[in-house]
Amino acid sequence: MNNRILSLLSVMALASTAAAEVAYEFVPNFITPPSGKETIGNGHGEIAVDSAGNIYVSVQEANAGIQVYGKDGKFIKALALPPSLHGFVIRKYGDGEHLYAAVLGEQKVIKCSLDGAVVMTIPTGEFPADKIGKGLKLTNCDVAPNGDIYVVDGYGQSHIFVFSAEGKFKSVFGGPGEPLKLANAHKVFIDRRFEPARVMICDRGHKRMLHTQLDGTFISEIATEMRNPSSASFHGDLMCVAEIAGNVSVWDKDNKRVADLGTSPKPTNTPGIEPKDWQQGVVTSPHGITFDNDGNILETEWNKWGRILRWNLKK
Amino acid sequence: MTNSEFPNDELPMHCAISSFVIRFSIFVILSSPLCVFGHGAEFLSAKLTLLPDAEVLLEVTADFGGNPLIADEIVAKEALIDPVRLRRNESLVPLAELSPASITQHDNWAEFAPASYLPSDTEAQPHTLITAAWRWRSEEPEIVFEMPKGKLHDVLLWTRDQTNPDAPTKWMLLLAGDRSKAISIHWPPWWQRWQTVMASSVFVLALGYFVSRNFTLRQRTL
Repeated sequence: MNNRILSLLSVMALASTAAAEVAYEFVPNFITPPSGKETIGNGHGEIAVDSAGNIYVSVQEANAGIQVYGKDGKFIKALALPPSLHGFVIRKYGDGEHLYAAVLGEQKVIKCSLDGAVVMTIPTGEFPADKIGKGLKLTNCDVAPNGDIYVVDGYGQSHIFVFSAEGKFKSVFGGPGEPLKLANAHKVFIDRRFEPARVMICDRGHKRMLHTQLDGTFISEIATEMRNPSSASFHGDLMCVAEIAGNVSVWDKDNKRVADLGTSPKPTNTPGIEPKDWQQGVVTSPHGITFDNDGNILETEWNKWGRILRWNLKK
Repeated sequence: MTNSEFPNDELPMHCAISSFVIRFSIFVILSSPLCVFGHGAEFLSAKLTLLPDAEVLLEVTADFGGNPLIADEIVAKEALIDPVRLRRNESLVPLAELSPASITQHDNWAEFAPASYLPSDTEAQPHTLITAAWRWRSEEPEIVFEMPKGKLHDVLLWTRDQTNPDAPTKWMLLLAGDRSKAISIHWPPWWQRWQTVMASSVFVLALGYFVSRNFTLRQRTL
């Protein structure tokens, strides 16, 4: 009798382990580029999904900086936004769902409606002059639960600036000095898997990810010795990460790596890999990443021709 | 020449040119920020040239115009002091132990990075480059480079064969802790090495004979 109970418990334990595991399958040729184009165009940006499931990806095209695709991957429209939206998120706060973007080439942050109308700008002049250095090189932003906007100078001095929901400067932390000692903090995100929410920093130069409190106080390193983490997204208890030197990884809330996707056989970090050399399911230089609303993963690459890959969650 | 010196019928043309120049300047000023800030080269580019007779030239370039990890010339020079090491048996040999470095400053990325790693045309930021070069004769027929753990700067190692310039360029990106594949160098063929050994032996024997003969003659004279 006791043996039967033990066996049953063992089976239940195995079943729960299996349920905790995640697996993904690659979806080839998911994106249908705009009519007349073979690829989406010069990519050095981000990808995000709105609450309706539409997919937004930034490309370096003048006056058409964001392309919008349907759930099925078919092109819908381009938004008349700047071509250097290096990092952006889509968040619901207060007055509805908006796109918040760091405009790398124009040293500012914009907040837009989902049809591309700019409703707020944080200009260069709003940043503290003593932290600007040789000029801001803003690479990403995100929104905290209270509406504060976190902006990182990732190609500059890796300072993380905090602005109110109205775009007024509040504080700054990070940078190259103690205690965080950041180097090329490529993107920052608000990690709402935790209560209170945390700041998750892709400290790409040091090949690590780390958590801080919302005031910038160091909590812990999430992982080190990565292939240069560049971007991240959250869904449930999971976090997916684009590692620009050739990997997509998935992490659980305990900072355990639970999946690797599309790993390039050798490290890479270049926009120059031509479409003829692309291999199905193998990444080149992942630069932006997002979960969709169902937990599937979409990744955009640093690539002159523009490339998006998709992995579906196996259920 | 002042405006008053223009004939009346040339004034509209002059105004049109001025207007065009002003508008064009405004366009350039407004549009330039869109293409100034690029991704940059977030690595040191290590160009390895294989020379005849087991000679090796390694030129490592740091970009302090476009690399966000390299703020200025001082940091660039620090990055080039010990960018990568040569693995020899179980030890890692700093490049400085192989030869002294020669340092040059320039802006010629195309000469120091493989084509697929050159910045795209929309990322036309200015590059300010410093290259440190080491040249030595290899003691082994194959060489292996290695990045010690904890190194901040990735190294893009790419190989050019000077004796076969049409051969495709090979490259590999080395992150901290990575080891390169073994790279075959132009090791002299066995008969050339034997020729050298034989020539050296003959020289030593001849020298010995000369010394002993003179010594013997002097003994006799004394």
